[in-house]
Amino acid sequence: MDLFLQTLLNGLLQSGIYALVASGLALSVGVVGIVNFAHGEFLMIGAFLAWAASASLGIDPLLSLPVVALAVFGVGALTYRVSIRHVLLAPELNQMLLTFGLGILLQNLALMLLGGNTRTVSTPYQASSLQLGALTVGGPKAVAFAFALALLGTLYFVLYRTTLGRQMRAVAQNRRGAQLIGINVDRVYMLAFGVSCGLAAVAGVLVSVLLFASPTVGLVFALKAFAIIVMAGLGNLTGVLWASVLLGVSEALVQTYVPGGGGWSDAVFFLMIFGTLVLRSFRGNR
Amino acid sequence: MSAVSARPVPARRPTFAWRALLALGIFFVLALAFPFLPLGDRREFLLQIGFFTLVAGIMALSWDLLARSGQVSLAHAAFYGLGAYGYALLLKAGVPWGAAMPLAALTAGFVSLLLGGVTMRLSGMYFAIATLAFTEVVRTVIQNLPESVAGGANGLLVPALLGGNSRGQYLLALALLLLTVGVSLAVRLSKLHHAFAAIRQGEETARVLGVNVVRYKLAAFFLSSVLAALAGVLYAGKTFFISPLDTFSLANSISPLTTSIFGGLYTTLGPILGATVLRVAEELLHNTVKNGYLVVYGLVLMLSILWLPRGIVGLWRRGRQGGDL
Amino acid sequence: MSAAQSVPASALPVLRAENLSKRFGGLNAVQNVSFTHYAGEILAVIGPNGAGKTTLLNLLSGVYRPSTGRLWLQEQDITNAPMERRCHAGLGRAFQIVRPFPEMTVHENVTVGALFGQRGIRLPQAREQAYDLLERTGLAAHADRAAHELTLLQDKRLEVARALATQPRVLLLDEVMAGLRPAEAQEAVELVRGIRDSGISILFIEHIMPVVRDLADRVVVMDQGQVLAEGTYREVTANPQVVAAYLGTEAGLHA
Ligand SMILES: Nc1ncnc2c1ncn2[C@@H]1O[C@H](COP(=O)(O)OP(=O)(O)O)[C@@H](O)[C@H]1O
Ligand SMILES: [Mg+2]
Repeated sequence: MDLFLQTLLNGLLQSGIYALVASGLALSVGVVGIVNFAHGEFLMIGAFLAWAASASLGIDPLLSLPVVALAVFGVGALTYRVSIRHVLLAPELNQMLLTFGLGILLQNLALMLLGGNTRTVSTPYQASSLQLGALTVGGPKAVAFAFALALLGTLYFVLYRTTLGRQMRAVAQNRRGAQLIGINVDRVYMLAFGVSCGLAAVAGVLVSVLLFASPTVGLVFALKAFAIIVMAGLGNLTGVLWASVLLGVSEALVQTYVPGGGGWSDAVFFLMIFGTLVLRSFRGNR
Repeated sequence: MSAVSARPVPARRPTFAWRALLALGIFFVLALAFPFLPLGDRREFLLQIGFFTLVAGIMALSWDLLARSGQVSLAHAAFYGLGAYGYALLLKAGVPWGAAMPLAALTAGFVSLLLGGVTMRLSGMYFAIATLAFTEVVRTVIQNLPESVAGGANGLLVPALLGGNSRGQYLLALALLLLTVGVSLAVRLSKLHHAFAAIRQGEETARVLGVNVVRYKLAAFFLSSVLAALAGVLYAGKTFFISPLDTFSLANSISPLTTSIFGGLYTTLGPILGATVLRVAEELLHNTVKNGYLVVYGLVLMLSILWLPRGIVGLWRRGRQGGDL
Repeated sequence: MSAAQSVPASALPVLRAENLSKRFGGLNAVQNVSFTHYAGEILAVIGPNGAGKTTLLNLLSGVYRPSTGRLWLQEQDITNAPMERRCHAGLGRAFQIVRPFPEMTVHENVTVGALFGQRGIRLPQAREQAYDLLERTGLAAHADRAAHELTLLQDKRLEVARALATQPRVLLLDEVMAGLRPAEAQEAVELVRGIRDSGISILFIEHIMPVVRDLADRVVVMDQGQVLAEGTYREVTANPQVVAAYLGTEAGLHA
């Protein structure tokens, strides 16, 4: 029983990061209408910036987080200005190719500048752990989860309680309609894309604490984020939360209970995406 | 409508078609002459680049074939991998290579029918993600099967194609590219072309007009996957060694896509030109800017989308998209 | 429903609907609709906005499956037939919102209909038939233009030509006159008459009452998903229920 609860807890903790990465992606897909295949690279940038601040200036990643978030928000907004903006009306395929190109560019820039090694960040709470009755939680995991929750809370507050958030949701639901009621769609796009990248970077900071920073660290998170937003349904910003929990928990369950679990957990995960998509497609309104 | 009129139907601007055929002809003549040129002491290396350019051409053109029916797939690595693994395992089981090659391709073709059958109702990004997930499932399964079955994460050794004769391997790849081009042109000139284009540009409208969407989507899947699997066989026979991570890598699904878009979508010439230009550019960059070559490669892709949205072929094919050879 | 007087006793039914219903969540978009469409007849379906006309057409052409009810095309039960089967059985459709294949030429658009709407036809033959249809619908001069370059009137002609290319017995037209100028609408009326005279039965949805008056042999009036009245143009326009249903709608019955 304890093992089961511990597994659930581990899954839940993991889902915090998933939700951050996926909410960011959901903004760029849902609001801007761009499937950003470079999303994982913005996470990678966040992880490296956190590592750099920690390694060279001795600043704890959690302290550098706001600065990193802002910086990457700026990079994202700039990216929107110089590239994304020009393919908004282009075929979906061209948009995909553009962001693929961006991903390749960023990933290999990191590889060229920093090499392929993984960089770990050391923090004072690295080896600490938290005891909750019979359950144990690693210190970094607990801290990362707390941060993820706080950030998600802020994000959803912004989305549902502020003018900008309402505008973003309006655009996500009905582009033309939003334009007609006088929303500056271009500006909303730029901000949404910036926030999207910023969220990925924030997740990257947390990943640098939990795992490491490396040029390719973003890929697997980006893939999972795609799966999550697809399961939630494109443009469904709240659906992202439960889909993240579902994914994190089922991954943890497979790791604990399936023999040779680590290797198979990816298969289960991708099978879930595949099954969800296919089943949903055959349940249409006919 | 009932009586067949004697009046000739005006033929539609054939000019580009001839130019495209001419360009294809020139490409094949040059490609055929290449291994017989005095290539000096870098011969092996150049033949290898040539070989993988041809493989990239097969991958891109076969991907384009599927995309023409509106199915933007990220499962090409799966068919490539199924070809490579099918070939390796058949050889291991004692099947002669000449039979193992088509059998591996047909296996991939069969799997593609299953995949196409269940993804039939998905479109756009949902379809792309489902096919990506499918690829990952296949990879993980192969990776986690006992090593005695398919080599597990460590991979498999594969006997060299044609005893390792580089020129022979190159010519075999060229023959298979020619086959792919033949299929592509045959599709272009047949009923399939109209069915694919109609489904891509309006699936429901196509059905209302009597297009059997299920049949044609599956046909596109089958043709495309068989050809991609042949590319996988070539790869396996050239590199001697295949592993799940390399063979089923996401890059193998993405580069056919980028290559086709870069060269010109829904054409026969475009994907081949794209493969040639990108491969050669990659090698040149590799030699000049060393590690940074992928940085430049990424930048080139971005700039080409921003400034050359219809690919290379679009440069002299103004006007419409999608109709020409 | 019994057939109205205007239908000759000898006429054979081509399309017959029995108690068709379609629910969207809690909304009964179409409710217990029955009617019979006779060979060679031009049947109009009218009704205020949101009455369920387009949904009915979607049920006929197979975009939706009905929640209840049955549908016959001649002797064939096509209630659950997929769209392509209905097409092969002889049902053609032009959409309310035109849907040309944008990257094809006008000629290629119609060729698709000819090639897949009939069985056992070869490509060159389909191209010829398509070209003939372009001449008949006045589009031959635009045969080689990209479909996305056409004007609205030309788009509507293309929509009709493409549906005709499938050699239908019944042609469903959804508001093909909407957005046309009076002179253009008159041309379209002539086109529709010509199609009927070539032996194709026509079921059309229309808002413009003069067009209904000029074209329809018989009229089915829908309101809130149900059939409110059925008969000749004179009969239904004299029906007080019909007048009441139209009162206050922006179209107005005699607009
Ligand atoms: N796909 C759908 N989902 C939900 N409601 C629909 C759908 N299509 C139509 N409706 C609703 O059904 C009713 C009938 O619509 P429609 O058939 O388009 O009317 P008409 O063509 O007569 O104007 C309307 O209230 C409309 O909002
Ligand atoms: Mg309507």
